[in-house]
Amino acid sequence: MSGFRHGAGRVGEKELQFSFDGRMLAAREGDTIASALMANGIEVVGRSFKYHRARGITSCGPEETGALVTIGSGACSEPNARATMHQVTSGMEVSSQNCWPSPKLDLLSINNVVGSILPGSPFSAGFYYKTFMWPAKLWYSFYEPSIRRAAGMGKVPTEADPDVYDRVNSFTDVAIIGGGSAGLAAALSAANSGLRVLLMDEHDEFGGQLLNEPRNLKDGQLEQWRLDTIAALHAADNVTLLCKTVCWGRFDGNTLAAHEVVDGKVRHNYHKIQAKKIIIATGAIERPLVFANNDKPGVMLASGARKMLNHYGVAAGNKLVVFTNNDSAYQVAFDYHDQGVQVSALVDSRQKPPAALLKGCMERGIPVHVQCVVTKAKGWHGVRKVAIADLAANGQGVGQTRIIECDALLHSGGWTPQVQMAAHGGTPPVYDNQIAAFVVDKQAEDTWSVAAAEGEFGLHEGIDQAVMAAKAACQELDSDANDIVKPSHDLIGDLHIEPLWRVPSKGKQLVDIQHDVTAADVVQSHLEGFVSVEHMKRYTTLGMANDQGRTSNVNALAIMAQCQGQSIAETGTTRFRSPIAPVSMGGIGGREIGAHFKPLRRTPMQEWHERQGAVFVETGLFRRAQYYPLAGEGINEAYVRETAHVRSKVAMCDVSTLGKIEIVGPDAAELLDRVYINMFSSLPVNKARYGLMLREDGHIFDDGTTSRLAEDRYFMTTTTAKAGPALAHLERCLEIDWPELRVRVSSISERWAAMAIAGPDARATLQKAFADIDFSNESFPFMGVVHGQHHGATLRILRLSFSGEMAYEVYTEADHGEAVWQHIMDSGEEFDIIPYGLEALGALRIEKGHVTGAELDGRVTVGDVNMAGMASKKKWFIGKNLMQREGLQDDARPKLVGLKAVNPSEAIQTGSILVTETQAKAGVDKQGWVSSMTYSPELNNYIALGFLANGPSRHGERIYAAYPLKGIHVEVEVVSNHFVDPTNDRVKG
Amino acid sequence: MIRINCPHCGEREHAEFTYGEDASRLLPANDANLETWNEYVFERDNVAGEHLEYWHHALGCRSWLKVQRNTLTHDISWVGFPHDTPPAQGEVKS
Repeated sequence: MSGFRHGAGRVGEKELQFSFDGRMLAAREGDTIASALMANGIEVVGRSFKYHRARGITSCGPEETGALVTIGSGACSEPNARATMHQVTSGMEVSSQNCWPSPKLDLLSINNVVGSILPGSPFSAGFYYKTFMWPAKLWYSFYEPSIRRAAGMGKVPTEADPDVYDRVNSFTDVAIIGGGSAGLAAALSAANSGLRVLLMDEHDEFGGQLLNEPRNLKDGQLEQWRLDTIAALHAADNVTLLCKTVCWGRFDGNTLAAHEVVDGKVRHNYHKIQAKKIIIATGAIERPLVFANNDKPGVMLASGARKMLNHYGVAAGNKLVVFTNNDSAYQVAFDYHDQGVQVSALVDSRQKPPAALLKGCMERGIPVHVQCVVTKAKGWHGVRKVAIADLAANGQGVGQTRIIECDALLHSGGWTPQVQMAAHGGTPPVYDNQIAAFVVDKQAEDTWSVAAAEGEFGLHEGIDQAVMAAKAACQELDSDANDIVKPSHDLIGDLHIEPLWRVPSKGKQLVDIQHDVTAADVVQSHLEGFVSVEHMKRYTTLGMANDQGRTSNVNALAIMAQCQGQSIAETGTTRFRSPIAPVSMGGIGGREIGAHFKPLRRTPMQEWHERQGAVFVETGLFRRAQYYPLAGEGINEAYVRETAHVRSKVAMCDVSTLGKIEIVGPDAAELLDRVYINMFSSLPVNKARYGLMLREDGHIFDDGTTSRLAEDRYFMTTTTAKAGPALAHLERCLEIDWPELRVRVSSISERWAAMAIAGPDARATLQKAFADIDFSNESFPFMGVVHGQHHGATLRILRLSFSGEMAYEVYTEADHGEAVWQHIMDSGEEFDIIPYGLEALGALRIEKGHVTGAELDGRVTVGDVNMAGMASKKKWFIGKNLMQREGLQDDARPKLVGLKAVNPSEAIQTGSILVTETQAKAGVDKQGWVSSMTYSPELNNYIALGFLANGPSRHGERIYAAYPLKGIHVEVEVVSNHFVDPTNDRVKG
Repeated sequence: MIRINCPHCGEREHAEFTYGEDASRLLPANDANLETWNEYVFERDNVAGEHLEYWHHALGCRSWLKVQRNTLTHDISWVGFPHDTPPAQGEVKS
């Protein structure tokens, strides 16, 4: 027991109950978990990351290094929550972490002993890199799991998170990060301009360090100023106030990312804030001093203890020792003394603390030990006494130690401006000797760092800086910010700090308390030759815990600089990266999870397929009908049946996913002649033609069928996958390369439904469906286009075949898609029409030897797919120049072939390599690959398409399709890729 | 987020745009030799500083735009249509 409830602070009198490790405890409304635990006298709240050393509450803010807890249980539980940053709610379940069976008796704390005995032992600097190296095969089975069990913090819930998270896009003129006195002042000043002002603070209450002050200080003047300012900001319509909101990153274009804890219907909000001007008033946080056992429960940052007392009404102990190297901790001692708590000693490492402070101690009867240090905190679970000793004048040694009893040790090693957000703007912080910390001296554009964030700790000076920044920001936006009334009482900000980076004594001196990195680890990394701070950081893992080095960074750099015999400025600081604070993945994901992860594109006939019981497959943003299973059918039975049905009767497939582009204008034909390798200016009206497009580098870009609807109007189809890129390509050509062409291109993909009707009875089916159109071969030949109407629906019918059967593509307005589809299904009933899915579509096109994305993978040329003859010699087209490169003309390039399994029932694996070796072995000579495969019901044989070196001249040869990873080695015969109807009699019939 | 001031739509974040290509290259004549085409398609300067590039406002007006971007800072100093020329150095003001 050390902490206890002492006075009212600012939190209310209302009591509520919560549990810690199953034990019910009382808290007051407004308490954080940390203040409530301390009020209940709980000292040990968990165990540390590696050594399992006891951990207590070390602060009252985001810099908390000790009190990491798990809030809640099950799917909603939040591990590694900083107890200082979460308010207690009624019934809240809080549990300690990283300890078994309890925080007070933790069996894995043996690591602490082992770590002390063995030199270069597990868990010292670089242990990840040095230990558990051999035998390597034990990594996954033994080392990794056992290290994971011993090291690490809270457990991530394994269930899906049931909570709702949201994303908010905000636009503001002036964003102010940090709602302490300076942030509040800047906001109030800027609010008067009428511009949109956004003020955010990560605490649950605005005020920053003002909350550390006693509420009734100077008759409550400061508190009244704080409350009045907040009230004025709430009253202003142009001001948005966000508390419990940490701004965690700054990105290009003045974009800020912030994480808000809402804990309402939505758990967290992720704010993406677009700010014209940014004022950084993030304040400063106190650093610990580095002495032995400075991580022991009961050792606390002085400012944290002050806020505990003055804000939460919780005293850190009954008998205190204060240890400092600067002025700020004196006020902590005074506050505790003045509120009736015994301060047994004030230990100041400086030779000459200011006389006024010494006088203050004398008046109160607080013993001051000047030029003296705490060498060690002692006690079993929590600190019960401290060893102090005189510090040698050169700071290199200490004298005889003496013991002082206490139950809390409050320390201050100086103050570190919170420069992360300023540094994200692009300028590295520089070291300021005056305050012994880093500040950003060169501000990024549109940015002002003010007050403590910039190293100015005085209240009035900070407010002045903030108002000046607000005025400058508003002025750049052609508005005027006002002066504001400062609080009548000032707080002096001088620290008179004399750095004490490390107490020269033995013992475990923690630098990064959260990640269990000691001063010895930093020294060791130096001895092992790490000269860059970035390398030291990674080698020791310093500053890589969820406090991101807030308290540890400067101390570690200073110790490193000492080792290197150079100044801290020369050693420099590590780069600051986002996020600067823990951010929930849920917040970043927002509502874009599960089915909302990406939009779903639906074809006009989607619901018909759903009613029909189709099985769907994702293709891009579409979910396409893959097959329509009959009772008891799996995918293989279904697609083989559907494929055979197309070849024997008639069936229909939804091809609405194809890209459709309307190309209009006097130069439409000229555009197509330039983008396609074959001629389109010679295409008669109401005729369709298959076309191939190349990229400028001579490889195939896309293929499709384009039909001419009028002299100046074409209707292009693209593959589903290339619908977007093809349109962008045409737009690029027209706007950048050939602005003189009088052509407009528009995507009409969403406007038109498309269905392919294929099979020997396709003509009879459509003739019955649309009696006023003549489907005879004479009036509607292969590659013809015919227009019609059906009950108000426009029909655009193209006689094309992807399957190799007699086939038509019917296009109609999307709104009429399902009605036309149903009408064709009804008309085809007497011909036994069925729907067929994507799987059968694939099987049919492989049997016919047509290429798709599997073949046109961006690396193949027209020659590779045996279509070089299509390239027009009479005109120029995109890709014509570079397709003539030597390497692309090489006859030995793998070219498209058909492959037929010698054993008809042996499946060929897509992705197999083509080899001539009869056995799978390493180093085989790869002569090609398999791009797509199917079972062919037409041939009763597994077949495939692939690319094979000199392929077209090797028809009849027997080779092997090998898939060494799965041990598959299939003998195949090289054949033409046109397995079915190579003379095209069926499509033209 | 880089912000691009589209002449049609106003300032929008870059998620609405697709990067196209280096805008400093000149399309060769159709009958230019292989070396010229090779250079046009493949040779790129890796500019550290001001760079002219084409961006496609794919989720906006679908215009192709010419953008002058500093590759070191991501500052965009000028946006125009594909055949506009950015003002000379020194005159540029974002």
